[in-house]
Amino acid sequence: MFFHIILERNMQLHPRHFGRNLRDNLVAKLMKDVEGTCSGRHGFVVAITGIENIGKGLIRDGTGFVTFPVKYQCVVFRPFKGEILEAVVTMVNKMGFFAEAGPVQIFVSNHLIPDDMEFQSGDMPNYTTSDGSVKIQKDSEVRLKIIGTRVDATEIFCIGTIKDDFLGVINDPATA
Amino acid sequence: MSLEPFNRLVKLAARAFYDDISTKGDNQPKTGRSDNRGIAVVVLDALTRRQWVREEDLAKDLKLHTKQLRRTIRFFEEEKLIAREHRRETAKGAKIFSAAVAATADGHHTKEGEEKVKLHTHSYCCLDYAQIYDVVRYRLHRMRKKLKDELENKNTVQEYICPNCSRRYTALDALRLISPDDEYFHCENCNGKLEAESDKIAAQEAGDGDDNARRRRREKLKSMLQKMEEQLKPLVDQLTRVKDLPVPEFGNLQAWEARAHAAGRGGLGDGSSNDPSKSSQGLGYGGTPMPFLGDTKVEVAFAGLDGKDDVKSETVSASLKVLPPWMIKQGMNLTKEQRGEVKEEVKMDGTSTSSTFSDDKKSSVETDDKKSIQDEYVKAYYAALLKKQQELEEAAKKQQELSSSNAANGDTGTSSTRQVGMKLKREDDEGDEDVEWEESNVAGNTNENYKVNDLNVQAEPSGEDEDEDDIDWEEG
Repeated sequence: MFFHIILERNMQLHPRHFGRNLRDNLVAKLMKDVEGTCSGRHGFVVAITGIENIGKGLIRDGTGFVTFPVKYQCVVFRPFKGEILEAVVTMVNKMGFFAEAGPVQIFVSNHLIPDDMEFQSGDMPNYTTSDGSVKIQKDSEVRLKIIGTRVDATEIFCIGTIKDDFLGVINDPATA
Repeated sequence: MSLEPFNRLVKLAARAFYDDISTKGDNQPKTGRSDNRGIAVVVLDALTRRQWVREEDLAKDLKLHTKQLRRTIRFFEEEKLIAREHRRETAKGAKIFSAAVAATADGHHTKEGEEKVKLHTHSYCCLDYAQIYDVVRYRLHRMRKKLKDELENKNTVQEYICPNCSRRYTALDALRLISPDDEYFHCENCNGKLEAESDKIAAQEAGDGDDNARRRRREKLKSMLQKMEEQLKPLVDQLTRVKDLPVPEFGNLQAWEARAHAAGRGGLGDGSSNDPSKSSQGLGYGGTPMPFLGDTKVEVAFAGLDGKDDVKSETVSASLKVLPPWMIKQGMNLTKEQRGEVKEEVKMDGTSTSSTFSDDKKSSVETDDKKSIQDEYVKAYYAALLKKQQELEEAAKKQQELSSSNAANGDTGTSSTRQVGMKLKREDDEGDEDVEWEESNVAGNTNENYKVNDLNVQAEPSGEDEDEDDIDWEEG
């Protein structure tokens, strides 16, 4: 799920950036530092949408670096248990398959794949129904439900299932 | 209220879940002779016929070795079915319990506890019915959930196990376990191939996940679930039956002993736990001493009651306490006191002789001329009754109002207190006005008499109601 929230961060800026463009440099550095990171609490920071407030800088003793407390608005993505996501399959193996929904990786183990789909090894490993009408392979798009999340300080990993109504392949690259 | 449904629940649960529990350690070889499966059921059954019981006594009754019994009981303690208490006690302490046991008049118990006083630490145990109810429900829920989850393969996180080092992983670790070389997961420790965990109930014989095996597994699970529902149906039925019943509660050992003791002493005295003065005085020893009649259900009823009873008695005694200052303050000595006296008299008739104690402290001076005043009063009362017909009618009206309000309020203890309070105020007003009102006060007094009686009459059914409410509340 996506959220638009305000976060705060202390930015350290090198003295060489001081000058007219201090603010621009600060924001550029913030984007470089923050976008794409993941915190267990808020999820993945997708994009910074604006700067709320930049506090007074504090010069660090000895280094000359200046610390600015910066408040910024950003879009974060946090997967939840029970959430339905659309994801792209990145890898298929005997144990199941991995998929990605934006920054988050999801593993679907083979017992959470419908019983009528079987693993076919080979050049392009895939799960196929007995009549061959539905095939899950690399780059397939699937709709899945998250049944478990593992949230560490700096990463989030999910396991999902496609063994439910309206879940499964939504767009097959082979037929498209 | 009855203990019986709960005992039935315990017996059913014992037979369903504990009939093949052996308390033997693993190191001891199981021979035919030492096979003690079924002991657990016997112990539980025995406990349904008892309340708090010393474990040595229980062992003696069951002709079991103390150690064996203790092992079983410890097992049940871990299963949360039994409440236990250990106590270092002297000869005296042991006697307290023996006396308590004797007081329960339970046929199973004898007084042989006294001889065992040399032992210092005694253990007591008792069924914890409230907890048993929860434990059994939880157990059923877990069983059902496990089967259903497996049947639907829903929300189960696949587990993987390393056959070499038997380290376990879950599907959540999957990202770290994939290897670039092949399509299997590899152990982080020993790089061995991980295998999908198959401790699931039905998965044992179905090694590979081929279609047939899966179907067979599903069928097996389904039949298992069905069988479970079928075979545990009596237990489930009993659970639903017990659901709305108040749970029998023995309290902890000390409270129970105290109660049993009090019952032993007070059992011959009176069966009326409604006696307000007694219950208000007897609060010191872990709980109100209530008549303990051996049969648990009765005890439970009173245990639920005593809280309410205290409240009630307090209100009654409060009304008694409120009266004297008022009488003194008004200064209309004789008649007012009479009124108080009459009220007191009625009280004595209505409930208990001991209720005068509280008043005696204050009115000890007047007790001497009590009788004569009373007689006078009665005469005056009758005269007033004849003469002041219309005022009596007024009084009757008021009385009606009161009784109607009484009925409207339902028969709770609080409403009755409120009425007493109202009553007092009204009399207060009348007292202020005139001597003329003296007679009407008399009429008011008849009203009062009626009221007090009424209050007492209503107290008993209300007590029962409140008791039920109380228990319900505890359950919820």
